Amino acid sequence: MRRLTRITKAPLNLARLCRAVASPSHGATASFVGVVRAVHAGRRVKAVSYDCFFPLAEKELARIAAEAGRRWPAVVAVEHRIGRLAVGQASVAIAAGSAHRAEAFEACRFVLEEIKHRLPVWKKEHYVAGDGRWLPGCSLKRLRP
Amino acid sequence: MKRTIELYGRLRDAGQGSVLRAELPARATARQALDALRPALGQDLTGCVLAAADRVLAPSDRVPATGRLAVLPPVCGG
Repeated sequence: MRRLTRITKAPLNLARLCRAVASPSHGATASFVGVVRAVHAGRRVKAVSYDCFFPLAEKELARIAAEAGRRWPAVVAVEHRIGRLAVGQASVAIAAGSAHRAEAFEACRFVLEEIKHRLPVWKKEHYVAGDGRWLPGCSLKRLRP
Repeated sequence: MKRTIELYGRLRDAGQGSVLRAELPARATARQALDALRPALGQDLTGCVLAAADRVLAPSDRVPATGRLAVLPPVCGG
């Protein structure tokens, strides 16, 4: 069985994700790639470090993809990269394949939003000025049983 | 019981690095464990949770006697 979700230190490969969700019954593949941008909140960024609690992150990413597959008739493949990434490098890549475009777009958007709220990943921006800061985020209290 | 607690995100800048060795009360709940860790971390733990390897613990959950244990601040993946 193909592995459709992954936390990795390696560069992301959107083409591989699109191939993983391909099917003769799919008329649509929607994709998203999140990249490190050069400016945030008025500050010049040179890199972002992604930190991760690996075992829980791997499980949560698989849960998110599975939830998308239950909500829409879609197959989702997603990878999140960790480590220090320079401006322009991809931190997250998502591909959603479905019979029609609407559910492919919606599944892709759902996975990204859930990643931002549920995945135990943290990012620290490194600024051109020399300092850095961890970005605020969403508490995982909502994940508790 | 003496435990190794993994730290992530902004908690790594609390002066302890990526792990903290700490004494937790016997049969502590997650809430009690976070209360016990707060002085050593010297940070506001609002929004933080305690997690085992594969799940976030509820405040009333007993801390597992073995296995990985981590304090997780609010997340911001993507």
